[in-house]
Amino acid sequence: MKSLGMLFIIMLGICSSGIGQSNSTINGVVRDSIGQGIAGVNVLLKGSKTGTTTNQSGSYTLTLPTGITSGTLVFSYVGFTTREIPVPSNGTLNVELANATSALTDVVVVGYGTQRRTNVTGALNVVSARDIGNKPVTNTLQALQGESPNLIIQQSSFDPGSGVNINIRGLGTLGDNTPLIVIDGIIGGNINTINPNDIESVTVLKDAGSAAIYGSRAANGVLLVTTKSGRRNQKSTVSYNGNVGWQNPRVLVEKVSAWDNAYYKNLSLVNSGLQPIYTPDDLQKLKDQGNGTWDVEHLLKNALFQTHNLSISGGSENNYYFISGGYQDQGSNFIGNGGTGADFGYQKYNLRLNQTSIIGRLKANLILNYTKTRNKTNSIGNNNIFADANRVPLNYNWKDSAGNYLTNPVASQYNEYGVLEKGGYNQSDVDEIFASVNGQFDITKELKLTGVFGSTMYNSTNFYRRMQVNYLPAGIYGDDRAVSDNNFKNLQLNTQLYAEYTKNLKEHSFKLLLGVSNENYTGRGFSIEKTLTDPFLGTPTTGTLITVGNSNNSIGVDATSISSAFGRLNYSYKNRYLLEGNFREDYSSKFAKGNRAAFFPSVSAGWLLSQEPFMDNINRTVSNLKLRVSYGSLGNQSVSSYQYQSTYFNYSSAYGFNNNVVGGAGYRQGNPAVTWETATNFNAGLDAGLIKNKLTVSFDYFNKVTDNILQAREDVPVLYGAGFPSFNIAKVKNTGYEVTLNYNLKTGGAYHTFSLNFADNKNTLLRLNADKTEQIVNQDVFSLLRRVGEPITQYYGYRVAGIFHDAGDVSKSPKPAGADVGPGDLKFQDLNNDGKIDDNDKTVLGNPFPRYTFGFTYRLAVKGFDIQIFAQGVGKRDAFLRGELVEPFHYNYGQTIYEHMTDYWTPSNPDAKYPRFANIGSGSNTNNWRTGSDIYKYDGAYIRLKNINIGYSLPTSVTQRWGIQKVRASLIGQNLITISKLNFVDPETTEFGNDLNLGSASNSARGYPLPVFYGFGLDVTF
Amino acid sequence: MKFYKNIYIIGVIAFLATGCKKLDLTPTDTFSELNFWTVNENVNNALNNNYSLMYNSGLYFYNDALSDNQFSNSGDYNVISAGFYTPSLSKFRNDWGYYYSTIKSCNLFLEGIDQNKTLPAASIDRMKAEVRFIRAFAHFNLTKWYGDVPLIDKNITPEEAQQIARTPKAQVVKFIVDELEAAATILPSKDEYDAGDNGRITKAAALALEARVLLYQGDRMTDVVAICEKLMNNQSAYGTYSLANSYSNMFSDPTVNNTNSETILSIQYVLPARTWNEYWDFAPRSVGGRVSSMAPLQSLVDSYIMLNGKSINDAGSGYDVSNPYSNRDPRLSATIVYDGYKWINANGTSKTIYIKPGSDPDRSALDEYSLTGQGTKTGYYWRKYFDPGALANFVSGNNLHLIRYAEVLLMYAEAKNSLGQMDASVWDETIRALRARVGFTDAGALNYPGNTNITNIIRQERRSELAMEDFRSDDIRRWKIGETAMSGWAHGAKFGDPNVDNGYIRVQNRKFEQNNYLWPIPPSDRALNSNLTQNPGY
Repeated sequence: MKSLGMLFIIMLGICSSGIGQSNSTINGVVRDSIGQGIAGVNVLLKGSKTGTTTNQSGSYTLTLPTGITSGTLVFSYVGFTTREIPVPSNGTLNVELANATSALTDVVVVGYGTQRRTNVTGALNVVSARDIGNKPVTNTLQALQGESPNLIIQQSSFDPGSGVNINIRGLGTLGDNTPLIVIDGIIGGNINTINPNDIESVTVLKDAGSAAIYGSRAANGVLLVTTKSGRRNQKSTVSYNGNVGWQNPRVLVEKVSAWDNAYYKNLSLVNSGLQPIYTPDDLQKLKDQGNGTWDVEHLLKNALFQTHNLSISGGSENNYYFISGGYQDQGSNFIGNGGTGADFGYQKYNLRLNQTSIIGRLKANLILNYTKTRNKTNSIGNNNIFADANRVPLNYNWKDSAGNYLTNPVASQYNEYGVLEKGGYNQSDVDEIFASVNGQFDITKELKLTGVFGSTMYNSTNFYRRMQVNYLPAGIYGDDRAVSDNNFKNLQLNTQLYAEYTKNLKEHSFKLLLGVSNENYTGRGFSIEKTLTDPFLGTPTTGTLITVGNSNNSIGVDATSISSAFGRLNYSYKNRYLLEGNFREDYSSKFAKGNRAAFFPSVSAGWLLSQEPFMDNINRTVSNLKLRVSYGSLGNQSVSSYQYQSTYFNYSSAYGFNNNVVGGAGYRQGNPAVTWETATNFNAGLDAGLIKNKLTVSFDYFNKVTDNILQAREDVPVLYGAGFPSFNIAKVKNTGYEVTLNYNLKTGGAYHTFSLNFADNKNTLLRLNADKTEQIVNQDVFSLLRRVGEPITQYYGYRVAGIFHDAGDVSKSPKPAGADVGPGDLKFQDLNNDGKIDDNDKTVLGNPFPRYTFGFTYRLAVKGFDIQIFAQGVGKRDAFLRGELVEPFHYNYGQTIYEHMTDYWTPSNPDAKYPRFANIGSGSNTNNWRTGSDIYKYDGAYIRLKNINIGYSLPTSVTQRWGIQKVRASLIGQNLITISKLNFVDPETTEFGNDLNLGSASNSARGYPLPVFYGFGLDVTF
Repeated sequence: MKFYKNIYIIGVIAFLATGCKKLDLTPTDTFSELNFWTVNENVNNALNNNYSLMYNSGLYFYNDALSDNQFSNSGDYNVISAGFYTPSLSKFRNDWGYYYSTIKSCNLFLEGIDQNKTLPAASIDRMKAEVRFIRAFAHFNLTKWYGDVPLIDKNITPEEAQQIARTPKAQVVKFIVDELEAAATILPSKDEYDAGDNGRITKAAALALEARVLLYQGDRMTDVVAICEKLMNNQSAYGTYSLANSYSNMFSDPTVNNTNSETILSIQYVLPARTWNEYWDFAPRSVGGRVSSMAPLQSLVDSYIMLNGKSINDAGSGYDVSNPYSNRDPRLSATIVYDGYKWINANGTSKTIYIKPGSDPDRSALDEYSLTGQGTKTGYYWRKYFDPGALANFVSGNNLHLIRYAEVLLMYAEAKNSLGQMDASVWDETIRALRARVGFTDAGALNYPGNTNITNIIRQERRSELAMEDFRSDDIRRWKIGETAMSGWAHGAKFGDPNVDNGYIRVQNRKFEQNNYLWPIPPSDRALNSNLTQNPGY
């Protein structure tokens, strides 16, 4: 932090600041509809260059030029309604601005520019700074969850530093569904590491109308991130905000006691025709001995989470700046540090400079951002840790009284407590530098030329070290004492040049944008691994070996380039009939010459009905009404480079002759015909403001058909003998809708805001693979299905019809061939009524993609207090879970029963949820758990109280005495309550990546538990 | 103003020029199909790649779990050995795909190598012969498991793969035999190769594999005899081979394993770069084993004869059920770890392995048989292929023998016997030699026993000699003994309830049906190629 401070001082030196001097002044405070001051509002004397901006508490002082005492002041700010108010005579003017979602007149960031929201004809949403900041998250995407309809964010792991699945409007392709990220106009920035507190707004572009200008990579939608900047004539302010708190890991599973577990084991053996292994004496002994410590909770602790952000911003007539530094530290909930160094956890350092100089008609903007992250995790992988902690009965302990790490007959190999405390670690360090220079030149009043050059330099290193841990009575971890280093660097360069021409002719307005750009990427890395290193230092010593297979000079060697031309034409008539056209022509190096180019156009139109004279008589109730429609095509080029070429590569250690190792050469087949995926997109929307815009409603419907989806060929038998690169084959339709509702209410001195967003989408596979219409992949004990005419990925197998209640039931019911079952075992549905259970009875069992996603925010402001409550959730999702937390005594690998499994069948509990216990290998177990049925299905719907923030701001009258503009203290709770039928694993976790890939590993419910955060925050502005 | 404008325009042009990148990019770390084969070293590498695809350690060890030698509780091996031949099992698809990927790689090589104009013609011929052997071996494995299979002797297109039909097994076998014949004429003998080429496919390897292919057909015994006689009697032409001195060292001792007189072909491994470590899951846990994922069955243990040459059930065998492992074929203790086994560690120290429940004086009882733990499911562990030179976690560089001279002797004995030509001289050349090598001294074991029961004796000998070397599943199939060998309870050691099956642990209830002699053709491929028919019964 010391060095950060130094940098601040240096940067301050660069930036000039100054405030104009003059005569009569106007003072006031600009507040939002819930009574909070809004920082950074532009206050401008209409028709002049005289203006200022509000400070952190929303107050402003505007000095009018000599001699001017009347006129109109314009108050504008991104995300809020612009208001025009005459200059008051008494020198005081307090203003309330309605906020963005309830207004149609504010300015929103769109591709290569900004637009007045009134003129927007595409489907987009804006998430503003106040919805992102002040949340205890390290990743911006976590802060965006639930904030925008159909911006679907799923965390597959809650481990600090782990990524998230993100998609807009669901899954439109079988390939990559991740939206394009654009940060400050530069494509391909890293949204995972940007400091959430540096973000001014995020625009979510959803349809072709809004996204076509990003053409070939916009098929999955676009997230436009705009970071904070200073403002012209802004008084220098220094702000601090931070929060500190504890994360408490919410462990949802609970083992039954050791003696109950032994009893259940006996029951399971007896049910399988085997002898019980625990005598009554053994059971009593276990009971006397009591429970041990071998569970997940003993591997976890409460962990500190803190973020601190400091920013300085200000501006004069010709220069303005924003500088910030941030520090975020998320401790891991795992105990230990791996044996040396800091505890496990994730740290992030951000440093940002945004500086603009106005030199006559040239506006030059420089953005520099440096981010450093460090993530230290354990050396064995979370999956192993949770599996081993879960599968051992509670009569065992992690440690004995002398501190030795223990193993036992169930987990004889490793003791994860020892691994966490002493077994080494995996540490990744990432440095990123983002730089962008942007020059805007006003050639004439109507013609502007903009040039942008941006680059992202990314350097990641990963250090892994496995250290030896000895166990009692037997077992050793990490005796290979492996140490590995990996390094990867890449550079992305982005060059853009575009011109914008604006023309207003009476009631006609035109705006034309034309530009060209090139983006390119180069990357390469290396790795080295050695074993039998020095036990204390991890350095090479006598006997150290190099692991040839994991030591490589050139990995991830890659280069891509894409050149584009793009443009947009806006036309509006009487400000009520709107028309917009977008296009982008892209040339990508990923495709062979003839297949390289692609043209992506879109058109959209809007009609502001509320401006029509015939609406005059109802505009007291309907203050705003706009209809929008758009149609166009978007592209996707998510394939790896060089796939159009067949290549051969040499590798080491293929074989040996005379005990000397020799290299080998492998090959990759190319597909010379590979080209773009194309998504044809239709969108229809409506925006309405009712009762003076107190209630606003926005609705969008979309229909997107993606064709030529890039997929490996699945229509070729494996006897062909080789894998395939991507081909343009599949076709998917995705339809859905989104609703946003906002309601503002003032009762007495209290301001209330209710915001609700709700969305759904549904995909349908239209073509799978040439004439192949169905693909089934066995996924452990159940199957995944892709079938034309149905959602792209579904669970597939037998449907459970109930539990056999007696021998008669068993004998008269259809069963799988060879099934050896009895009362208490699962009965499957004979769907085709042929008297037997076979492949023909398999059916669709569920859809793993979240449907009916929603977010709800309630804000209240009373006097100095403000409260924000945010909940989000998923209305429908099927989750299949397997493993030791699902199947009793799973494969004998698991030797445990959990409290959530204890509703099992016995003759006296015939209506049980689960079948009777039975040993692996028994007919019962094979029938109940090896057969692939919806016994593995769980309801993944949930609602989560995601965030509560209760703040109190000291009255300005008090703070001003100390020379402080604003002091706000808050209490913060995150992830406080989750309501779901799925009660032993967090319902958000999923086995899938962002494409519902059939090759995804199954979900063994071994996820890192959801951290519940309690803490407090502080905001101070000088 | 104009000054700024000019600077600005110059600046724009400057960064457009520096920032743009051309679109014709070629990878810098790979060759293209146009230039790959012209480089000699690449051709060698492509050949080596085919060697690496010849066979793998997973198949080598675990296929034995599909026989009455072993039990594996992992995945499809468990399911198939129990008799559930569900066509969609991954094992049926993965093996099929594996052999065809080897064939693809070989065909690409045979098609591409002619682009090379700098290697000597003789080298190119030899390399082609090596690859033709590998391609024939893959076809042999396919036809052995699946019967009629598509014969693919050129680099086919995806469209051809969607159309190609199954070639009758006889035709596939003819192709394999012809290819091996041809390769044998081109390939150098073991003695003709440079020392540095130790491990390459030789003339003898091609002939021995041809003998094996013919033996498996059951009706080509005269040809088998002829080939074996070449290898046994004309070693100056076909390479010098003899039985190694020590049976166990051939699998364990890293030096003997790599250089001995007996190996005809093995999958080559080199520490530390190219290794296998399946043994981690076969070893007793007290000496470092992880989980016991495959273990010997009582049936295999029982098949080892007594030192006096009698089977344990023969009258006068002297078999003591309470001391079952003494006076047995020395290959038993070279192969299997049983209760009370004296384990020799890598450093020469020894320890006793306690497997019988409740017998281990150490409270951890890691090796004891138990229903709940991760130890053996049968009451036995493996010793064969234990590598004292292995790295941590049994990462081994020992070669896995695919063809040994011992197999040639066994093939010769079996073929001669099947032609009714078994006699004392054939016996002495084969079975007696094998038994003498492992230390039998009793005349009852060494001398020709006459023709009574001789077929069983030869088969038993083959089972004991080649256990854990991926032969037993083949033998069960070609001898058509699946209905007996793979049916009913598979048992483990005598640690169970004395009232059930004489106290032998019930490990797995198995069944085997007539159609199981051939595996099902993977339904996923049949769905994509309507010309692929299915084997009967699936």
